[in-house]
Amino acid sequence: MAADKPTAEAVAEQLARLREDYQARLPAELAALTALAAGFGGAESDRARLDELHHRLHKLAGSGGTFGFTALSARTRTLEQQSKQWLAGSLDEVEAQAWQSLAAEVAALGETLNKVSPPQAPAILSARDSLTSDETVQIWLVEDDASLAEQLRRQLESFGYTVRHFMQIGDAEAAAHTQRPDMLIMDILFPQQGENATEVLALRPILRALGCPLLFMSSCDDFESRARVARLGAAGYFLKPLDVPRLVNRMTQILDQLRAPPQRVLIVDDDVALAAHYRLVLLAAGMEAEALHEPQAIIETVAAFRPELVLMDLHMPNYSGPELAGVIRQHERWASLPIVYLSAETDLDQQIEAMGRGADDFLTKPISDAQLVAAVRARVDRARQLDAQITRDSLTGLLKHASIKEALEITVTQARRHGKPVTVAMLDIDHFKSVNDTYGHAAGDVVISSVAMLLRQCLRMSDIIGRYGGEEFVAVLPECAGGDAQMLMEDIRRRFAAIAFSYSGQAFSCTLSAGLASTAQYPEFSGAELLVVADEALYAAKRGGRNQIRTASPHPLQEADRP
Amino acid sequence: MSTLQRVFYVEDEPDIQAVARLALEMVGGFTVKICSSGEEALREVVAFAPDLILLDVMMPGMDGPSTLKALRELPSMAVVPVAFMTAKVQPAEVAHFKSLGARDVIPKPFDPMTLASQVRAIWEGHHGS
Repeated sequence: MAADKPTAEAVAEQLARLREDYQARLPAELAALTALAAGFGGAESDRARLDELHHRLHKLAGSGGTFGFTALSARTRTLEQQSKQWLAGSLDEVEAQAWQSLAAEVAALGETLNKVSPPQAPAILSARDSLTSDETVQIWLVEDDASLAEQLRRQLESFGYTVRHFMQIGDAEAAAHTQRPDMLIMDILFPQQGENATEVLALRPILRALGCPLLFMSSCDDFESRARVARLGAAGYFLKPLDVPRLVNRMTQILDQLRAPPQRVLIVDDDVALAAHYRLVLLAAGMEAEALHEPQAIIETVAAFRPELVLMDLHMPNYSGPELAGVIRQHERWASLPIVYLSAETDLDQQIEAMGRGADDFLTKPISDAQLVAAVRARVDRARQLDAQITRDSLTGLLKHASIKEALEITVTQARRHGKPVTVAMLDIDHFKSVNDTYGHAAGDVVISSVAMLLRQCLRMSDIIGRYGGEEFVAVLPECAGGDAQMLMEDIRRRFAAIAFSYSGQAFSCTLSAGLASTAQYPEFSGAELLVVADEALYAAKRGGRNQIRTASPHPLQEADRP
Repeated sequence: MSTLQRVFYVEDEPDIQAVARLALEMVGGFTVKICSSGEEALREVVAFAPDLILLDVMMPGMDGPSTLKALRELPSMAVVPVAFMTAKVQPAEVAHFKSLGARDVIPKPFDPMTLASQVRAIWEGHHGS
């Protein structure tokens, strides 16, 4: 149909306007999708969430195509179809890796937007596309001292980070138009350009708009600089010469916070509208929330949704809050599930009674949205901390001896059921005693936490890591065996040896040895039995001269290389 | 033969609604009514008395095919030509949609400059046959 010319122009103009509006809204939608996909726990209980993701992907694929974002539309379409396929079956069957890769691909959708305007290096973009489940952390380092930058880059890469170096602030700003790092580390003073990074960031929003954690390093320790850094909301201030393990420790903390899964909250309230409101408020704050109106279903709901906190109305028509709390507490595995009541201020007597029956806390109605979010977040975080204190080692944040042994047995049993191999690695820092004796226990602690950080950075999310004893670590690697496991550990061994530690000006380095044992070689072995042979292999590595990896083998020929 | 004037479009995505409105009103010169769900469509369609209906296939709640089925149960909508709009256009699926009583299937994303002529062609095909 031939539209007359002015109309065609007017249409084009209006279309352009619609497209602009749409483009402006895209980042928020992509961020929402990313958050949604990042919250998957990887099981049937994610169905509602996956369903929502599927719908939104569908809409995005359609609208993206309409507005000419062809690459975005095509990629979104693939993800839409994948999620649809999953929804057709049991979500419990979907493997953890697949969930992670879905989340990573959703998170990477934004990259397709770069493909719209400048025709730049598609090869690089597609290389990044192939990075799926095991996300490497991208660090941008803005530092005008090339040799310091190179040194720092090498160190950070030893810890498994990917580092991109920019000599000038302007270079990083240019890159920020199309890409986004996971963290930004900046020097403060750039004498050649006469620039101070804290001033540049305050004036020009582009790097701040990246929204990623920001760390500064500087050789000046003056209050004014520190105050400016604080005003920018930076996550850290590190003095030169840099203590890299300490820097990495801070980086690990920050990333752990970012990776923390959303808080799961169950709301039990007979007031459907109010419960729906609370739920929306919590969802908007990035949490997962479900509302339950029928108290009879409480046990099924708690079992399926696995809430980290239950928000319970004190007064409900047929069953009171404390009665329902009592029902939950009858089940031993939920004995420590935090239960918080919502009640009016005047219910003092009932509050006291409820306290005696398994309530943890009260929130007073009416409660503002902001109060509700803050109260729930604080209580869930507290519960998580308590749980971490029970199961995790305080220095490294890794699982403690008993917990890692338990996790190992569970993993070995599961793997056997699925016919997949598991490898157990036992690692030990070489000559650790002499590190302690020479440089003191504080330095020794830094070395130990460096091994922990390295393992967390280099291993997959599905791997389990524990501190087994003083300087001894255990890593459990599901679906990994033989050459892969050996290569992985070799890589960790090399990276660890490359880390430069320093103690009051003295530089030193350490090495580690490891013994591996896999169910591929020992199909009948329990976790505890695997640990015994892994320990023997570790002993062989030590006897063989340390700084090496040995794999246990039941075949006598290969036993010959044992001394 | 009368000309196509009134087009009724059911689509849940506001962005696509906006583009479709542009394409059908400005380019096509049609009188357009857009509904955001099958449920809303069933409430509005009789009063609008469309010459032709466009249905998005995948919508939350009532999807395109179930909206079509419900529309056909309204006496005044029994023979109004309906076309589906969908991203999935494998021949087998087109055949399936036609078997449900649709005249045709318009693939998404559509070109806003040519959507009106596609719609007109479907309408003419309907009246020619």
